[in-house]
Amino acid sequence: MAAAQAGDTRAYDRLLRAALPLLRALARRRIQNAAEAEDAVQDALLTIHTLRHSYEPDRPIRPWLVAICERRAIDRLRRHGRRGGRETPIDDFSETLASPGANQGEARVAAAELRAAVAELSQAQRTALGLAKLEDLPLAEASARSGMSVGALKVATHRAMKALRKRLGVKDSGVED
Amino acid sequence: MRSEELIGELTAGLRPVRRMASPGRQAALWLGIAAAAIGLTVLLHGLRHDMAERMLLPHEVLQWLASVVAGGSAALAAAMLARPDRSWRWALLPVAPLLAWLGSLGWGCMADIARLGPMGEQIGTSWGCLRFILAMGIPLAAAQFWLLRHAGPVRPGRVLVLGGLASAALCSAGLSLFHHLDAAVMILLWHGGAMLLLTLLGWLLGRPVMLRRPSART
Repeated sequence: MAAAQAGDTRAYDRLLRAALPLLRALARRRIQNAAEAEDAVQDALLTIHTLRHSYEPDRPIRPWLVAICERRAIDRLRRHGRRGGRETPIDDFSETLASPGANQGEARVAAAELRAAVAELSQAQRTALGLAKLEDLPLAEASARSGMSVGALKVATHRAMKALRKRLGVKDSGVED
Repeated sequence: MRSEELIGELTAGLRPVRRMASPGRQAALWLGIAAAAIGLTVLLHGLRHDMAERMLLPHEVLQWLASVVAGGSAALAAAMLARPDRSWRWALLPVAPLLAWLGSLGWGCMADIARLGPMGEQIGTSWGCLRFILAMGIPLAAAQFWLLRHAGPVRPGRVLVLGGLASAALCSAGLSLFHHLDAAVMILLWHGGAMLLLTLLGWLLGRPVMLRRPSART
């Protein structure tokens, strides 16, 4: 450190790197959170740098480093304690909000869009779509239930699907059936 | 940023620094300044009229010496505590002389009841004492805090209290040389009260100086 006070960068680098395990051990002993402890180590490094002119070369360096690191770790714990009283970490809560319905927002929006799109279809198209696609009936039975011819059902279903695809922004496959 | 990278940056920006004087020398420097300032004021005012007879009373001399020693030891303790690696026990150094000073005043109060009558009649106002101790003590305490500002990142509170106490005790000792207060209870109230106030003010007003973010010295 005496050499560092005189401006010897290599001695300073050696000293700080040699002290790093000690600083880390001290910070980890006080602070459980690894990231927070590492921040305390960096605070200590900055304080060591700021106070390097106050070190007395005839005294051992270790107690000087230890005292500074302990101080910074305690400061960080105190700050953390103060902040902890006011803030709630929300990182873990992105998927789970307090209201039970709140997490289904996207699905509900999609369903509403689909309902709106279906509402814009003609009555014949809605009937054809309901029988042929939702209830998955054979064309003959669908024709018997709706009173529409098989050909008309086919056309209505096809046009309904095309209209929905267009409305919901799904690319048309281009295959005509 | 990782700590290793931080070390790299700190090292890369390293500039030579002038080593700070030892705590003992810092305390001596401040005591010299304080003694000169207070001594000059005492000379300007002239010694109190009953100085010679007071100096013949061992009790009075001890009381005065106790306040001087309390001031000196508080200054040394503050300078020591400003260094991270010095023991916190330095803070106990001024306790004994301070207790001696208070004890001697308490004993004086008892003696005064026999000498001057009931204590209620001895109590008056002495705003001059308060004014002097604050007017002289605040600049001295400020000088002390400036000298010991490196304590900021380590032990600001204790250094502020001890620095304020050092200024107040020395001012009280200086004041006793030229200002006449007959009753011990008056000294206890006005000197003691002013010392307490100055210590408190020092702690409150000194915090911004001490806790100021250290300039990025690279």
